[in-house]
Amino acid sequence: MLGFLTRRLLIAIPTILLISIFVFTLQKLLPGDPVLAMAGEERDPAVIEFLREKYRLNDPIWMQYFNWIGGALTGDLGISLRTQQPVLTLIAEKLPVTIQLAVMALVIALVIGVPTGVLSAYRKGSVIDWVANIVALSGLSIPNFWLGIMLILLVSVKLGWLPASGYVPLTEDPLQSIRTMIMPAFVLGTGLAATLMRHTRSAMLGVLRSDYVRTARAKGLGESVVVLKHALRNALIPIVTVTTLLFGELLAGAVLTEQIFTIPGFGKLVVDAVFNRDYAVVQGIVLCTAVAFIAMNILADAIYRVLNPRMREEQ
Amino acid sequence: MTEGAMTEAGPLLEISDLSIRFGGAPSNLVDGLSLRLSAGETLCIVGESGCGKSLTALALMGLLPMPPARRMSGRAVFEGRDLFELSLDQLKDIRGDRMAMIFQEPMTSLNPAIKVGEQIAESVRRHRGVSRAEARAHALEMLCRVRIPAPEKRLDEYPHQMSGGMRQRAMIAMALANDPALLIADEPTTALDVTVQAQVLDLMRALQQESGAALIMITHDLGVVAEMADTVAVMYAGRIVETGPVARIFEDPQHPYTIGLMSSMPDLGPRGGRLVTIPGVVPPADAMPEGCRFASRCPFAAPACAEAPPLRDLAEGHSVACWLAPLEAVEPGAAEEVA
Repeated sequence: MLGFLTRRLLIAIPTILLISIFVFTLQKLLPGDPVLAMAGEERDPAVIEFLREKYRLNDPIWMQYFNWIGGALTGDLGISLRTQQPVLTLIAEKLPVTIQLAVMALVIALVIGVPTGVLSAYRKGSVIDWVANIVALSGLSIPNFWLGIMLILLVSVKLGWLPASGYVPLTEDPLQSIRTMIMPAFVLGTGLAATLMRHTRSAMLGVLRSDYVRTARAKGLGESVVVLKHALRNALIPIVTVTTLLFGELLAGAVLTEQIFTIPGFGKLVVDAVFNRDYAVVQGIVLCTAVAFIAMNILADAIYRVLNPRMREEQ
Repeated sequence: MTEGAMTEAGPLLEISDLSIRFGGAPSNLVDGLSLRLSAGETLCIVGESGCGKSLTALALMGLLPMPPARRMSGRAVFEGRDLFELSLDQLKDIRGDRMAMIFQEPMTSLNPAIKVGEQIAESVRRHRGVSRAEARAHALEMLCRVRIPAPEKRLDEYPHQMSGGMRQRAMIAMALANDPALLIADEPTTALDVTVQAQVLDLMRALQQESGAALIMITHDLGVVAEMADTVAVMYAGRIVETGPVARIFEDPQHPYTIGLMSSMPDLGPRGGRLVTIPGVVPPADAMPEGCRFASRCPFAAPACAEAPPLRDLAEGHSVACWLAPLEAVEPGAAEEVA
C-alpha cells in the first residue's frame, strides 16, 4: 500500500504542474485587464504603468508563470488584486467552510442514497422500487435554490427549528455549527442522494445476478448476509467512484446554496474572483481544487484496493 | 433424521411430475419430469443445452431466477419433505447443509472479494453454529480433503489467486463442508482443462465414496456419464426420454435421441469417417409440438408420435418415452442408420 501511495503521489506532481500551466495560460487569454479595473475611472497611464510594474505584469509570460509557481511551492499564492489579501489566507478562510458543507452533504447523500439504491435493486419492480425511483427523479429535477428557499420558509420561518442562515466555525461551537449547516447540507445532499441511489441500484442489479450471489444463496445464507456481505461489497466500487466525483463537484459547485444560506464558503470566492479578473485568486483556487481532486482520486484508488483484492497486485 | 435410516427406507429424493414454465411461455421448459434417487447413488442427467437439466437442479435448490411469473408444479420429496412445500427459511436450513450444489463456472461462482477460507467457513458457521475458529479449522480440513496444495496458505487467498481447477476444488470443499446427503453438480468440469477435468472427476468420486452422499451430475458429456454414473436420465426439450442403469443405456439405448447421442460421440483411436450428427435443431419453446418433442428430428417418426409418449418400463429400471420402443421389434439394426 505504501509503495502504491508513493507512486500515485509522484504521478500527481506532473499532473498538477500541467494543470497550473494550463490555468495560467488560459487566464492570460481571457479578455479584460485587471489593471484597468484597479486604476479606476480616470485610467491615468502613469498609474496603469505603475500597477503593471508592481504586479510584474510587464514580464514575459513564462517569467510570470515561474514567479507564481515558485511562490506557490513555498506557500505563497500571491496577493488578491482586489482585496490586497494574500490568496492563501483567503482560501484558508473559506475552504474549511466548504469542506465541512461538502462532507455533511455527502454523509447525508450516502445515508439516504446507498440504502435506497440497495433496497430498490433488491426489490426491483416492486412498489418500493417505483417510489424510490420517482423520488430520486424528483430529487434530481428540483433545483437546489428552490428547495433551499422552501426549507428556510418551512423549518426556519414557520417552525423556527433551525437558523435560516449564518455560519459558526466547527472549532468554535460544534453543535451550533452543525445546526447552521444542516439545512444547506440537506439541500445539497438530497440531490446527490438521487444520483447515488441510481448508481447503487444499477451496480447492485448487476451484482445480484452474478453467480457468486447464487452460490451464497446455495449455501443457505440469510438474505441480509447475501445482500450486504456478498453483493454490496462488490457493488461498492462504482459507488466509491461516484462519491469522490460528487465530492469534487461539491467543492466548486455549491455556490448557489452557499448564497441562499449566506455561508461564507469557497463558491462565493470563486465567483467574485472570476468576475473581477482577480487572476491570483482564480489561479490559487483552481490549483487548490485540482489538488483536492487528485487527492480524492488517490483516496478512491486506495479504497478500491481495499474493496477489490484483484487490484492489489496490479502495478 | 439419521442418514442410516434414510438409506434403508425409500429413496433419498423423489421428484414427481415436475413442470416449470416461465411467465408467458407457451410451453413447459421442464415437462412432467419424474426421478428417484437413493442414498449414495450417482445419477447423471444428460442432454444438450437448454433441455431443462440445469433448470431442474436450480428448482430443487430453490434457486430458480424469479421473473414476475414463474409456474412450477409437481413434488420433490427429499428426506421425507417436499422441497416445494417448504418455507424459504426451512429451505435455507437444508441448502448448503443436507443438500449442496456445485456450479459450472468456478471463475464466477466464488465471490471475488472474500477469502476462500471464509467462503467455506461461513457455510459451516451458518449450519453448525460453531465459533469462527472452529469453522476456520473445518475449512482448512475441507481444503485438505479436496487435495488443494498448501491449504493453510489458500485459506487466506482470494479466488483470483487460484487456478480454475483449484477454484473448483474449493467449490467442492464448500459444497461438502457440512456433509450433505445430496450433492448436485451442474457441469462441474465443463469449464476446466481436459487434464484437470479428469482430476476433478476422480476427486468427486473419491469424496462421494468417503461421505456416502448421493450425487446428481448434470452434464452433456457422455464420457463423464460413463465415468461417474450409476443411473442415467436422458433429457430432451424438457422431458426425460430415457432412464436406466448406466450399463444398459450405453449397451442398449432405446430412445432414438439416446441412440443419436451415443453415435455422435467420437471414439478414441484412428478416425473412421465423419462423426454422426442428429439432424435438425431442438424446437424453440414457442413452437413446441404437442406430441413427442423429438419427432421432428426422429428418423423413426410415425403418426403415433403426434401424441406424447409416456415413460414406459422396458426392463428393470430401464424406461423409455417412445411409442416404438423396444426398437428391435420395429427395425433390427436401425441404430446404425440413425445418421
